[in-house]
Amino acid sequence: MNIYINGTGCVSPLETAVEGRLPSAAPLYDNIRLKAAEPDYKQWIDIKMIRRMSRVIKMGVAAAQLSLREAGIQKPEGIITGTAYGCLDDTGVFLTKMINQQEEMLTPTAFIQSTHNTVAGQIALLLECHAYNNTFVHKGFSFEHTLIDSIMQLREGKISNILAGAMDELTNHSFNILSRFNLFKHTAAGEGAACFVLSTEKGPNAVAKLKGVSVLYKPGSYEEVAADIVGFLAAYNCSQEDIDLVITGRNGDPAGDAWYEHVENNVFPSLPVARFKHLCGEYPTASAFGTWMAGRIIASQEVTPAVLFKGNAPSAIKKVLLYNHHDASHHSMILLSIC
Amino acid sequence: MENLMATLKAQIVEQLNLQEVKPEDIGDDMPLFKDGLGLDSIDALELIVLLQQHYQIRIANPEKGPEIFHSVRTIADFITAHQQQNK
Repeated sequence: MNIYINGTGCVSPLETAVEGRLPSAAPLYDNIRLKAAEPDYKQWIDIKMIRRMSRVIKMGVAAAQLSLREAGIQKPEGIITGTAYGCLDDTGVFLTKMINQQEEMLTPTAFIQSTHNTVAGQIALLLECHAYNNTFVHKGFSFEHTLIDSIMQLREGKISNILAGAMDELTNHSFNILSRFNLFKHTAAGEGAACFVLSTEKGPNAVAKLKGVSVLYKPGSYEEVAADIVGFLAAYNCSQEDIDLVITGRNGDPAGDAWYEHVENNVFPSLPVARFKHLCGEYPTASAFGTWMAGRIIASQEVTPAVLFKGNAPSAIKKVLLYNHHDASHHSMILLSIC
Repeated sequence: MENLMATLKAQIVEQLNLQEVKPEDIGDDMPLFKDGLGLDSIDALELIVLLQQHYQIRIANPEKGPEIFHSVRTIADFITAHQQQNK
């Protein structure tokens, strides 16, 4: 069964929500904390509802609406989201009030909106969609497990399309706490939301086919990852030679990038390599941005200098492998191909 | 009373995060719920907390809520009556 990406939507530190494409040149960020360039949410959300929504909810709703519009679908047959941190801002507001007010006189809004599944719920409420609704909170695998569940839902044959996406926000609290762990010593902190309308039927604006997804938790060695990637490709009747472009989650951290270098040099020594975290920053669901980028590259058949890291841009791009890891513990592979 | 109503309007706008609504846009007798300002049940809870936080008033009888929170004037009347009762 083929699974098509019929629509995509992305809110990121780039103007992806407005322009819907990759920049030709990488932007020069002057801060290690990248903030999402937010579109005018009033075009999708009633102003009475916006006032209760934190940024991650608005970003998720916008990405969902953009992808649905591109796919030409008003109401999907299922909604699945992935998020590692959930609605952090509202959680912070609620916990701060709990402390400051000695657990008394707590307002309901921040509490209601602080749960991880708020984004998927809000999308469903706005669309009046009563279909399957699920949220995966699996740290660096949140997006990948969203895709895996989506694929399984579609393969069961009871539905023909589904909205899948991932989103995470960076707050003052989270940035300060994560900075203490030296997570952003070599890389920029990021945030964003990316959504995809997946379908068993090819739509008029389909960007790519989603061939497969695989995850690997805490591999013991570089060789284990390399062997896993070869096995992953074989499971989809592919070899290294069939891949036209590898996209890795390089983020500038030497220890983390060593995993990518091993794969680039030993599994795909002659292939061009693109990267994406210099555009969106590092966050647990950044692979959703990477997948959005992979789809755009296949649809446009163009690898812009803004994302090309190594080698020459291929003349034809039929298959793209996205290899990403978060914090060296959560490794994932996502295979996309031309429609 | 006028000062209290002006203060209440500002507090309502802030507490409920009413974007694009200015305190002066809220009429003294404008219904706060449904067709008026369009507040809902979650806002009602926020208003109860507002009264507790800023005026140290607990709503003893929830059934009186619709009457108390009908408009800014009815809230102000309720606060004034409560304050005079406790003098």
